Amino acid sequence: MASALEYLTGLQRDPNRFAASSSDLAAAQVAALDERFQERRDRIPLLAKRARDAGLERITAREDVVPVLFPHSVYKSYPDGFLANENWPGIAKWLGTISPHPIATLAWDEVTDLDDFVVRLEAAGNYLSCSSGTTGKSAMLIAAAADLARVRVDAVEVFAWGSGVEPCADRRNLGLAPVVVSPRNQASGEGLAEAFGLPGVPPYRLEIPPITVGRMTHMVVLRKAIAEGTARPDEIADFDTTSRERAEALERSYALGAEALIAARDDKLFISGMWNALYHVAELVRERGYAADDFHPDNCIYVGGGLKRAQLPDDYQEFVHGTFNIPPEREFQNYSMQELNSGMPRCRGGRRYHVPPWVVPLVLDEAGEVALPHPSGALEGRAAFFDLSLDGRWGGVITGDRITLALDPCPCGVAGPTVHDTIVRYADLVGDDKIGCAGTVDAYVRGLS
Amino acid sequence: MTTTDAAQAPADGLGDAIRVDHFVRGNVVEGGAVEYRSRDLGVAFATPELRLDDLVTPRTELPPLLDVPVAEIIDFLVACSERLVLDRNVHLQEALERIVATNVLPRRVIENSFRRAEHFITREGLWCNVESNFANPAALDGWVERVDYHGQHGALRAFPPRMVHMLAGNSPTGCISSITSGALVKAVNVFKMPSSDPFTAVAVLRTMADVDPDHPVVRSMSAVYWRGGDERIERALYRPQYFDRIVAWGGGDAIDNVIRYLGPGLQLVSFDPKTSISMLGPEAFTDDAVIDEVAEAAADDVTVFNQEACLASRFLFVEGERSGVERFCDRLQARIAVDRDLGSEVAHPLSIEDREQIDMLELMDDEVVVWGKPDGRGLVILTRDPVEFHPSNKTANVVHVESLEDAVRFVSVATQTIGIYPSAAKSRLRDRLASAGAQRVVRLGSAARHVMGGPHDAMFPLQRFVHWMSDEDA
Repeated sequence: MASALEYLTGLQRDPNRFAASSSDLAAAQVAALDERFQERRDRIPLLAKRARDAGLERITAREDVVPVLFPHSVYKSYPDGFLANENWPGIAKWLGTISPHPIATLAWDEVTDLDDFVVRLEAAGNYLSCSSGTTGKSAMLIAAAADLARVRVDAVEVFAWGSGVEPCADRRNLGLAPVVVSPRNQASGEGLAEAFGLPGVPPYRLEIPPITVGRMTHMVVLRKAIAEGTARPDEIADFDTTSRERAEALERSYALGAEALIAARDDKLFISGMWNALYHVAELVRERGYAADDFHPDNCIYVGGGLKRAQLPDDYQEFVHGTFNIPPEREFQNYSMQELNSGMPRCRGGRRYHVPPWVVPLVLDEAGEVALPHPSGALEGRAAFFDLSLDGRWGGVITGDRITLALDPCPCGVAGPTVHDTIVRYADLVGDDKIGCAGTVDAYVRGLS
Repeated sequence: MTTTDAAQAPADGLGDAIRVDHFVRGNVVEGGAVEYRSRDLGVAFATPELRLDDLVTPRTELPPLLDVPVAEIIDFLVACSERLVLDRNVHLQEALERIVATNVLPRRVIENSFRRAEHFITREGLWCNVESNFANPAALDGWVERVDYHGQHGALRAFPPRMVHMLAGNSPTGCISSITSGALVKAVNVFKMPSSDPFTAVAVLRTMADVDPDHPVVRSMSAVYWRGGDERIERALYRPQYFDRIVAWGGGDAIDNVIRYLGPGLQLVSFDPKTSISMLGPEAFTDDAVIDEVAEAAADDVTVFNQEACLASRFLFVEGERSGVERFCDRLQARIAVDRDLGSEVAHPLSIEDREQIDMLELMDDEVVVWGKPDGRGLVILTRDPVEFHPSNKTANVVHVESLEDAVRFVSVATQTIGIYPSAAKSRLRDRLASAGAQRVVRLGSAARHVMGGPHDAMFPLQRFVHWMSDEDA
């Protein structure tokens, strides 16, 4: 007989996977949480410490897992100094505290830079993805091969469910955003291309060098050097020059992307990107005199990521959809985060994000310390999730988001737990009135572009 | 934020919001019209409607204090300080009751700092301040003759400025030194109060008005609250036609907001955000009696205002034998955990992020040792390199270094006070510390004690406040 864990994670391709209500899922989720906990507690050193500190032996209710959830900041808790000093054994040791699988011992003195470090780790079965942090430090997320295999499927299932587009391998695939190179992004990109793209037609990608982990963390490293007074002015000037050149190259690639779209306008398209890039490309397409009527009426669009604090006009979605002739019922939104391995697609009927049965949602108090009682209905608070499907790291995450979690059926008719379309980051809610005489050297580091 | 018509608002405020009164050039303006939330604790309070015109004096009017001699101003300030006695001062008592709701500091620490208020203003201290700031203090009272090397004559006056003071929120009585500085340079002053304490400045000014409601010092002072960064107010107010100087504490958003309004004629005098540290030589760790004494002195420096103050030590660089250092850490944790005048037994617990970093360091590095818990009672973490988070809520990072000279590389432009043991090591280290950016060396344990009339932030602020007017016969 399959365990609760196998049963829940095995629902990945089930078309009715969102149908079971939170109370229907309770028994299986509790059993699966305990299964994960027992299996991982001695293999993830940080989890072992948390379990010891909390005196946790068994999980008998969903909220029991709260003391051993990891705050999302865990994945940023590596010392910056390790990156700055290229301390590869140090980073590997840090990864070891949050990974259930041993981190490979590499030939440390042969590692040339962070990108090389990531490539070598990958060859050894440790897949490292980095988030492009909106402010400063990147999160470093370790994953296993099984997680990437799952992402390949999840990306397709989530998009198909949320947009109603069938994966029939019949579309020309155009990617219109600078994409951060990571095993996870690669897996989801490949999965989508294979499921929706025309066989044998390679996807179009923006003509710019890929954004690597090393490139993303360069700014963090330079900031630290500036704060410590060890960065030299030539280095800062070079950094600014490189940033400017990259911004110009990106502008040029948008123009080429617009041309590629126009050239493919008679084909049925699968367009992907982020809002900021899609908006700019749409503007260029319109400038060249093309709009909805010129494009195929059966197009679809996959949008990843949030706005990342980009400044766009209020009607940016309508503008993008209107440019590429995307039917209104195909509007796709997904709630997820790098720390999890699964998406929560928004339904078209109720405009709520649906939580799959192998992800356990919890609403915590704002401090993220205790689960709020939530027998039924809608409840607002700090979001926490346990993604039971994660293999390469601990599935329990306390997020930085304030959400409303609903346990009543969605207006779309589906009974499983949902997240209202009102998600905000706590970080965006704090005031700006902070004045004191105490502070750090960070205030003395002027912004880097 | 909601705005209500002042005429309709009840005098005691909107609902449960705490009433915040303003003080505008001698007059109390009752609050209750405009509701805000405090920054740290999210408590609602309600101020009066702000009338910007009342905060600005036309330049055709001479400043009220222009012809009042400094000696008389000091007499008045000293007379006021005699009334700043918590047990007898209803304004301070009222402020105390309200401030405990908006400020992260515990009631008793605020109370103790209020009890010290009467000692902040002394005749000797004020004169020391004037005399160390001005080569010839007579320039504050009138035109001072001067002759150059060619025998050309001129006269000079330290003319009163028009100033906005953005008060800091972390030490309630900090506003007293801003008020006295403003009075000593005879300025026309607007004090912008912080959301964590929109009360103390008004309480102090009301005390002054009780002494003499028509005194020119009182007529030169306004204390008001608006949300820092409120463009509607700051764009209108921060103009050189109205003000000469903005005096601001802190960094980050607060300063970035102000910088946008600077330009010809409107200058910033900033008291920057600072971190303070300690340096302990091998002499500190030789025997238990010395370790006890040094731990107590270090704890005094770490716990000032529960480490909310810039002069509170956060990193303690130590040179010496490991076992002695570990015994010191143990004693230090015990001493940080006790109740003292300007620090409480229990502060707020550490943030999730800081706890995370401490856990991670402990897991990764066998040399990292932690004493205490992240529960706000006091925690000491011993490392080989400084931790990357900002130790706060009574957290001391003891950094074991090869030599104190080696620790100088961790001193930066953000370093304010350095408490040193043994004190003889100060003179050995102070030039290199100054070159690295530090501004003050003291004996370990005396970070919160000052030689009167000293500089702040490596400058003498009063001479930067005034408008140096020159009359020349060349």
